[in-house]
Amino acid sequence: MNIEIQTIGDIQVIALAGDVDANTAPKVQQEILPLALPQSKILLNLTNVPYMSSAGLRMLLSLYRQTTAKQGQLVLVGLGQDIRRTMAVTGFLNFFTTCDSLELGLTVFKRENH
Amino acid sequence: MMGEALQVVGVLESLEAIAQYVKGAAKAAQLDPAQAYNLRLAVDEIATNIITHGYEDAGLTGEIVLWATCTPETLTIHLEDEGKAYNPHAWQAEVTPELCQQPPEQRPLGGLGVYLAMRSVDQFRYERVGDRNHTEFVIFRNPS
Repeated sequence: MNIEIQTIGDIQVIALAGDVDANTAPKVQQEILPLALPQSKILLNLTNVPYMSSAGLRMLLSLYRQTTAKQGQLVLVGLGQDIRRTMAVTGFLNFFTTCDSLELGLTVFKRENH
Repeated sequence: MMGEALQVVGVLESLEAIAQYVKGAAKAAQLDPAQAYNLRLAVDEIATNIITHGYEDAGLTGEIVLWATCTPETLTIHLEDEGKAYNPHAWQAEVTPELCQQPPEQRPLGGLGVYLAMRSVDQFRYERVGDRNHTEFVIFRNPS
């Protein structure tokens, strides 16, 4: 599992690469939950995540709760068909903001003071 | 039996080897990509439960043995462990389709794995044989 974090404007872009299972999800969660600060804008790029189990879904739910509790925003981009199916079956697609590409994802964050 | 069996230690680090084994069997049985993904997901979720609840939470250590059998109609992954006896059908009751419609602030974090596993294969069987759990995951090949 590889985790890359960069900042584009006021958006924190987190790119994951590798399978997210019960073995790797705790590491991902430990790295990215602290990024959910008040009003933070977080884009999670899953383009290079071919597999995600329920451990990954729990990690996403924790991140969602953290960002929402702190009036932040979370956008997921690059969901593969398989992960999308898993998120649909569990109802997760209903509440996450998702975009097909990184470029589109960067445009959906709400602008402040304008 | 199809190919060699796989024997791994019942720890989370073994999940990758388990996944590779299931992917190899799915490829040999020529499952389509979505079926292969679902089979891997089901085995991964149950193996995770065996490791965390059947072994670690119970203060036990042991191994997990996997093997595959194939007929013209089905591919079956067999999983055997010496952890605590479990009842996956009781786990299943923890998460329901209705629960999946609940807002994210209210839904529980647990139980999703078994819910997904049961929905990802065509047949799921569990049996306690002596001091071992025997779990089977069946996928129908080439569904029309």
